[in-house]
Amino acid sequence: MERMIDQNVIILGGGITGLTAASELAHLGYHVEIIEKSESIGGHAVRLTCKATEKCVKCGACKVDEKIQIAHSHININIHMGCTLTGIKNGERISVYYRNQQDRKSSSNAEAVIIATGFHPFNPETKPYGYDRFKNVITSLELEKRIKEHNDIKKPSDLTPPEKIAFVQCVGSRDSSLNHLWCSKICCPSSLRMAHLIQTKQPGADISFFYIDFQNCGKDYQQFQTTIHKNFRTIRAIPGDILQTKNNHLEVSFFDPVDHKAKEEIFDLVVLSVGITPNQGNRDLSEKLGINLTEFGFFDTHNQTGMTSKAGIFAAGTACHPMGIEESLSSGIKTAFRVVEYLKNGK
Amino acid sequence: MNKVKEKSKTINLNLLNHDKCKSWDYLQDICMTCSICSSSCPVSGVDDFDPRKMVRMVSLGFEDELIQSRWPWICTMCGKCESVCPMGIDIPGIARKVRSLRDRDKVPGILHKGLSMALKTGNNLGLPDEDFIFIIEDVAEEIAEEPGFENFKAPIDKKGANLLTTIHNKLVNTHTEDLKHWWKIFYVAKEDWTVPSKNWEGTSWGLFTGDDNAMKKMAGRVADHMKQLEVKNLLWPE
Repeated sequence: MERMIDQNVIILGGGITGLTAASELAHLGYHVEIIEKSESIGGHAVRLTCKATEKCVKCGACKVDEKIQIAHSHININIHMGCTLTGIKNGERISVYYRNQQDRKSSSNAEAVIIATGFHPFNPETKPYGYDRFKNVITSLELEKRIKEHNDIKKPSDLTPPEKIAFVQCVGSRDSSLNHLWCSKICCPSSLRMAHLIQTKQPGADISFFYIDFQNCGKDYQQFQTTIHKNFRTIRAIPGDILQTKNNHLEVSFFDPVDHKAKEEIFDLVVLSVGITPNQGNRDLSEKLGINLTEFGFFDTHNQTGMTSKAGIFAAGTACHPMGIEESLSSGIKTAFRVVEYLKNGK
Repeated sequence: MNKVKEKSKTINLNLLNHDKCKSWDYLQDICMTCSICSSSCPVSGVDDFDPRKMVRMVSLGFEDELIQSRWPWICTMCGKCESVCPMGIDIPGIARKVRSLRDRDKVPGILHKGLSMALKTGNNLGLPDEDFIFIIEDVAEEIAEEPGFENFKAPIDKKGANLLTTIHNKLVNTHTEDLKHWWKIFYVAKEDWTVPSKNWEGTSWGLFTGDDNAMKKMAGRVADHMKQLEVKNLLWPE
């Protein structure tokens, strides 16, 4: 039997961050209610594939399964699926109102609320890569999903394996025209590890990376970086246009900085490494909660302390700024402990 | 690769001077060198030019090297680089700024000659007024011979007309047929239009040579026409 503390914490969002915070708090004896918009928990992380080749590459994708298990089985955790927040009131306790997809209204009271509503993957339709028109231009998240569900890599146009694959990095990140000045942190590790996985599954696959600079991908980055340049063709230029030719081939225009030539090259599959953007609902949610967003639309947490501008309301994970799975896990844990600190001292 | 190595030797790093070009207001310092400009540029690779390199040179202070180089003159100033730049850097503006810093007599031949001629005579060709009027009337007569365009006339210097139109010099030189399309539309639409007899040049090559004073002068002439002829609307197709 778990220890019970007569204090309640509501977590908005059942992704990796929310589930981690929930499991920490539940283990410490707090009662936790997770309000999740969709019909399942696990968020984006549950759709990411394991990227192990001959050994684990520590991508973190498997971590979410364990958290889902805890959330479903722990006596202190109660999950409200398919529910959206409709309002919040600050009285003696914080009252949170929500309704489910059948429009049934409910409410819960809590001593603290954690916003763990996650991110929105960048939609690359506005970029000159024909994402909405060409079948074989896909996003990195779509590739994750394909590998996770089918354990293989196929061209969407005819479901045959692609021979020549291009990854385009930084799509929707580091882009002042979109007011996205941040590095999304997840796209380099995810795409590079998937590329290694593709080469393991499909030896001889010809993979090119169009990039600006590769971001750090964990502790063994230095070794990882040498293999990147050895195993893949790396082109330090972002392509200008992608056009579709016969048989759904893709003609990629780019400037090759090595021989100073403008080139058009044919690829079978183009993967756009899309970045993290703030959730579209952040504005509305911040207004309902009476808290601030950063200038870019993420939740403002006083220099990443987890505290928002309102007592008792915390924010964690990619709701605050871009981060990968490892960082989301630690953000969930840290914020859970901040909540405990607050409940012990403040209330 | 050897070719590239040889070329990089020609840049003397002792000339690197970050203070140079510092006052340039083109955001060149926030370039992330992503190269989407160079990948999109229709003239990337011509004589080894690419826009990323030009932006980097400005950022590093290689002002003199750029002014002497042919690269800024290879740019067509189409603006595609600027429209795709994630940092919104005005790359055509940089090219134009570099061009403006060159001695005027070192501006590439045709641009320099055309613009000097326009400033002196009112048009890039130095076409005398009477020749211009002859061509305009001749083309008008040809239109009048076509069915449905009987009595067509090209109104020159018509006071109080609704629309003033400028003329690209090639339309009274090698492309006179192209005058007809506009004029026929005016005729069918019953537009009350006119064309000036002097200073009719529609191009303004100061745009391409980085010469703001020349552009002001060319635009001033058009404004003067509108005042003198009391025309409210302008069609300046260039």
